[in-house]
Amino acid sequence: MIKSKKNKVETFIIGVFLLIGAIFAIQPILHIIALSFTNAGSSRNLSGLAILPKGFTLFNYKILLQNPNIIRSLLVSIFITLVGTGLSILFTITTSYVLTRKDLIGKQIFMFMVIVIMVFEPGIVPEFIAMRKVGLTDSLSILIFYKLVNVYYLILLMRFFENIPEEIIESAKMEGAGHLTILFKVLLPLVKSGVSTIAMFYFVFRWNEYFRASIYISNMNKWPLQVVLRQFVVLEDNTALMGFGKLMDSYGSVDFKTLQAAAIVLGMSIIFIIYPLILKFFTKGTFVGAVKE
Amino acid sequence: MEKKKKRLTKTYIKENWVLYLLLIPVIIFFVVYHFMPMFNMKMAFQDFKIFGGSKWIGFKNFNLLFTSPIFTTVLKNTVVISLLKLILIFPIPIILSIFINELKTSPFKKFIQTSIYLPHFLSWVIIAGIWVSFLSPTGAVNEIISMLGYKPIDFMTNKAYIKGVLVVSEAWRSVGWDSIIYLAAIIRISHVLYEAAGIDGASRWQQVKYITLPALYPTIITVLILNLGFFMNAGFDQVYNFMNDSVISSIDILDTYVYRIGLKSGAYSVSAAASFFKGVIGLFLIICSHLFSKKVSGKGLW
Repeated sequence: MIKSKKNKVETFIIGVFLLIGAIFAIQPILHIIALSFTNAGSSRNLSGLAILPKGFTLFNYKILLQNPNIIRSLLVSIFITLVGTGLSILFTITTSYVLTRKDLIGKQIFMFMVIVIMVFEPGIVPEFIAMRKVGLTDSLSILIFYKLVNVYYLILLMRFFENIPEEIIESAKMEGAGHLTILFKVLLPLVKSGVSTIAMFYFVFRWNEYFRASIYISNMNKWPLQVVLRQFVVLEDNTALMGFGKLMDSYGSVDFKTLQAAAIVLGMSIIFIIYPLILKFFTKGTFVGAVKE
Repeated sequence: MEKKKKRLTKTYIKENWVLYLLLIPVIIFFVVYHFMPMFNMKMAFQDFKIFGGSKWIGFKNFNLLFTSPIFTTVLKNTVVISLLKLILIFPIPIILSIFINELKTSPFKKFIQTSIYLPHFLSWVIIAGIWVSFLSPTGAVNEIISMLGYKPIDFMTNKAYIKGVLVVSEAWRSVGWDSIIYLAAIIRISHVLYEAAGIDGASRWQQVKYITLPALYPTIITVLILNLGFFMNAGFDQVYNFMNDSVISSIDILDTYVYRIGLKSGAYSVSAAASFFKGVIGLFLIICSHLFSKKVSGKGLW
């Protein structure tokens, strides 16, 4: 009896500790959301601890979603995220399949390449010079092809392929199936959880990518949302958002603090949408190995 | 014998040409995005001119680098920030996973997990925006500081606090997510062990000490080693977005320095030399980690 009482107290303390951690994790996010829905007059009175808006308004979102720069960058982000993620998944799947063929001649050479890529980072200037030489700068293709196959995710997916019993492949071969049939018809359903995992990783990575876009793309019309966000929120450069002074005047009493908050929320929105999926795939502990990044 | 082997190779490739065809786009991609930049690292030993006519100058760029006082500061910042993060953040996910495992499945547990994993998926641009607001003179932290009767602190522009801000915001972003890998390892521990320990009268703390922690040991070592391998990184995206003129000398790290002198100031060769230096140290650390990991857990990084 005494023991279970002690246990209850311990559980309570652990619960409180975790609750504080959870509040610390989401309060800053909830506050930004609250701020984004707060009207210009009330934002000064909104406590930093508040998680509910004061003087609820959609004004900031109206301004953002009427802004051609925001709309364009949002479309660019959606485009490179979808196309980039799709291509990345496809090529990571095919490469994982090929590299897990036990009798593949030349496998060592290719694995050596993968390891060299893993352990050696050439640095941003050598990379920049190479991209210039190939003529990939100032085009969206660099954002789609950059890290097309992430070697860490490749190795992760390879582990899923390695776990498939060899007999399944052998029997498919006996029935006369070629490599493509084996891969897409027989094996793909078996590595579904691995593919969903890397798909989520790629998706989040593509959506959040800003640095390569900011150094390789000087044409503002091709910037993804995160770069516009960085200009506006981190560098506090309003022209990135508003274009020129005239446009800004027409908005009259814009409160930049709340407008910035709305821009941040816009940048997080897709993550919120796919977050339930992420939780479903990851928290079940179905992943095979650890992945950095 | 040789001839026979060659013929076997030929028939293998003939029969499995699809495999090689599938590899071609990826090889092209690797060459363009990874190996061409690696090849360009030669510019660390050149006086590089973007429109041709680069001359080999040996280790001059490195001399320049190592005699520069800024480089010394940058190197020091990189090591200090990485070390602070490693020491202060590393144990938290382990503790978190043990605590989460103590909770029974319930909406409360789900709420905790949903909350603490979320920050990991936000970009550093967004995190910087959120944290500037969180730490601003009217933000949540200063609200609490004022409630306790102290004066508000401008954390983001204060050299004394900014390294702490980096450590805490990194913890904010990563500890929840990083706890998943330990949680997965805990879930794999057999229930029989705990039941037996419970019957023998082992307290909760003793169960953690004698069952959970030893079971987590291989995972802890693997993650620690992986972290050591990336020690010289210190978090470019974070520093890049948290940086401002007031605190630059205190948080300027190798990667931000390389970016600034290279792409902003156009000192291509010196920047490449700094990257080369970082790459060599990183390579050394990763290989050491790999060998150490193989020795300790029998599992390498690849």
